[in-house]
Amino acid sequence: MSTQLPASISEETVTEISAERDEPDWLRQTRLDALSALEELEMPSVIETPGRRWTNLEGLDYESIVDPLDQRDETERVSAEGAEVLDFETALDEHGDLVEEHFGSVTDPETNYLTALSTALFTTGTVIYVPEGVDAEDVKIRAEMNSTSLFSHTLVVTEDNASATILERISNGDTAVDGDRYFSNIVEVASGENSYVQYGTLQNLDEDVYNFTLKRGDADTYSTISWIEGNIGSRLTRSDIETELNGDSSETKIVGAFFGHDHQHLDINARVWHNGEHTTADLVTRGVLDDEARSVYEGVQDVGRDAWDTSSYQRENTLMLSDESEADASPKLIIHNHDTEASHSATVGQVDAEDLFYMTSRSIPENTARNMLVEGFFVPVLEEVEVDELREDIDDLIVARLD
Amino acid sequence: MSSEQDHLKETDTEDRFDFKKEEKSAFQTEKGLNEETIRAISEDKDEPEWMYERRLRALKQFQEMPMPTDWPGQPDLSEVDIDEIVPYIRPDVDVRAGVDDWTELPDEIKDTFDKLGIPEAEKNALSGVGAQYESEVVYQNMQERWEEKGVIFCNMDEAVREHEDIVREHFMTTCVPPSDNKFAALHGAVWSGGSFVYVPEDVTVEMPVQAYFRMNSEGMGQFEHTLIVAEEGSEVHYIEGCSAPKYSAFNLHSGGVEVFVGEDAHVQYSTVQNWSKNTYNLNTKRALVEKNGRMEWISGSMGSKATMLYPSSILKGRGASDNHITIAFAGEGQNIDTGAKVYHNAPNTKSTIESKSISKDGGRTNYRGLVHIADGAENSSTAVECDALMFDNESTSDTMPYMEINESKVDVAHEATVGKIGDEDVFYLQSRGLDDDDAKQMIVSGFIEPITEELPIEYAVELNRLVELEMEGSLG
Repeated sequence: MSTQLPASISEETVTEISAERDEPDWLRQTRLDALSALEELEMPSVIETPGRRWTNLEGLDYESIVDPLDQRDETERVSAEGAEVLDFETALDEHGDLVEEHFGSVTDPETNYLTALSTALFTTGTVIYVPEGVDAEDVKIRAEMNSTSLFSHTLVVTEDNASATILERISNGDTAVDGDRYFSNIVEVASGENSYVQYGTLQNLDEDVYNFTLKRGDADTYSTISWIEGNIGSRLTRSDIETELNGDSSETKIVGAFFGHDHQHLDINARVWHNGEHTTADLVTRGVLDDEARSVYEGVQDVGRDAWDTSSYQRENTLMLSDESEADASPKLIIHNHDTEASHSATVGQVDAEDLFYMTSRSIPENTARNMLVEGFFVPVLEEVEVDELREDIDDLIVARLD
Repeated sequence: MSSEQDHLKETDTEDRFDFKKEEKSAFQTEKGLNEETIRAISEDKDEPEWMYERRLRALKQFQEMPMPTDWPGQPDLSEVDIDEIVPYIRPDVDVRAGVDDWTELPDEIKDTFDKLGIPEAEKNALSGVGAQYESEVVYQNMQERWEEKGVIFCNMDEAVREHEDIVREHFMTTCVPPSDNKFAALHGAVWSGGSFVYVPEDVTVEMPVQAYFRMNSEGMGQFEHTLIVAEEGSEVHYIEGCSAPKYSAFNLHSGGVEVFVGEDAHVQYSTVQNWSKNTYNLNTKRALVEKNGRMEWISGSMGSKATMLYPSSILKGRGASDNHITIAFAGEGQNIDTGAKVYHNAPNTKSTIESKSISKDGGRTNYRGLVHIADGAENSSTAVECDALMFDNESTSDTMPYMEINESKVDVAHEATVGKIGDEDVFYLQSRGLDDDDAKQMIVSGFIEPITEELPIEYAVELNRLVELEMEGSLG
């Protein structure tokens, strides 16, 4: 492992975090196991082509951006009737067994170096529990980061025939913290049979924050897990959105939108594993790059040997507004069962000159026309967002960036 | 060496692609690879000193470079044991004296080519055939009108001696340097045989130039080198065909192809390969394309235990273009990892890649491609299309395209689809009186048609026939 463990992190640190929060033994042990696994674990795998590694996660100075004992956040949680939306400590008190059963069951804490680091050090997060048959609309989480580093862990558990629509916003608070910072966010969704979860995230962190997120869902029979991921802020984002379609007839949708400018680097990954029969996946990502921003996209559709009657689709489109920007795209298909209908596509291009001409010839100033076209570019993605509020918020941030 | 002769009927097509001959070797290096081996090869070929030095440099690079092992989903190369390969075997025929009459060839070599159908090709008045039996081109025939135009088509060993300046300038220098990858380095050290094609300025070679390669010696690798230099405004279509008998021993094929496409020139390189099921086929093929030049790669990859092949084009000059059309077929125990690489290094460059694959009975096909658009290569466009057909859930089909775009004024599109043969299509054909096997074969033939229509008729027939053989009796 090439990454040095920051000196500020030791068993004492982890024990202190756990004791301060009065955690049960199993969780402290999980944290300590994750800590000791750090020596063995690799960084998340990054796209490599001959002579080039596209994101340098090893190069980050974790020593200076991780301060585990000073984690401050301001998190608002809005619940829905019949559902429980709790901070982690309360959830451990009130639903200890449920948390113990599901914590780390979908996202293995030891998936990679950054997930293990996050599990060992997290101090904030949310547990969302939706009992059988309950429809929880409009669950909201608004997290503000007020420290050099912040580690968060969110667990969503839906029972049979339940549904949840969750909207998460991540930004920095007003507390001024200078210099590079680090935000880590792990989300796991364990869905019951025939349940429906839509999890939307809008990340608008300051542009000196390094951001890592892994969101993974385990879809049970007849259930649907939909992810919406809007990335606007941060200096560097490494985002992994993953669904395991384990149950027969389960479905997933992964919708992504990103808009990079200045020196932002966005490493966006979407992965789906088709394991059950009759499963469906639809991956749609659109991104815009301006100035010297850079995007790396990888989308993987993995169809298992027993995944009969699979349907799997993927589209990724990147729009480049500046000659200094760079885009990499790699949509991948890995298929072990012939009873599959699968496709993927990726395009990279610029604002269409004819469209622009058409609009300017109708007396729309060129700049306005260009902005309208960029905004329009996101429409097919925004249309997939079922929560009006989230859709409008993403659109507002896009418009704000264009002005 | 085993010398079993298959007494199969001449008409049996399996026989055409699967038989072996007792071989006679005039010269054989010791097993293993070292400086002495290299010197022996070079001395035996009477090479100039500079070529010997290049071989030695390549050998050093080969020894220093690691095996490619960390590519996602790549074929397992752990069984590739270079020490087991006798890199150079020359059939018992005096090439240097030149054989340009079919009847002068030893009977058993003639026999081999008979089964490959080369005489038929001759009868069809094809322009020229250079046939490689073991590591030498032993039979060359060139029509006089080419010579008048200054077109050169000869074996690579001869070219090193006869056309030293052109070869020295182009051989593994700017196109495929030995440092490119471990197997390119190996190739640079031990290469032997292959074809040299030179087309002078503004000359069009109307007929395809053809060469057949063949492996017929247990535990022996083939490292033939093809060098095509097409000067400004010229046009040529080069075809290479391969078909190897089946062996139980280990085989490595590591060829090299370098193509120089001059300004406004047009080169098409077509190959249908059918290595036996125990061959590791690890090749490096590349074209450098100057202003407004056009390069076309047409390839059918059949057979072999594992293939790693990514023909690449570097579009150096403004307006250069590239087309790739590839098909891969993987049956039981085969891992065919192929694709294409295109570097757009100049404005207004265009490329299209069309890739088809069929996997069956546990076979594994992978499309691995890279499209790179350099900063400043404005108004470039590329379109990549991959289609895969699968027959069962023992098989695997992967698609791993990479696109690196450093320029905003571009048009980049990649698409891939995977599916099984449509039940409705089969039903439609069956309802018109075809049985299940025939219906499926017909659909597969239709699926690969974009490839076959680019090939001269006898190659198209051969490719279709090969696919049919692979499919026979295994459908249902």
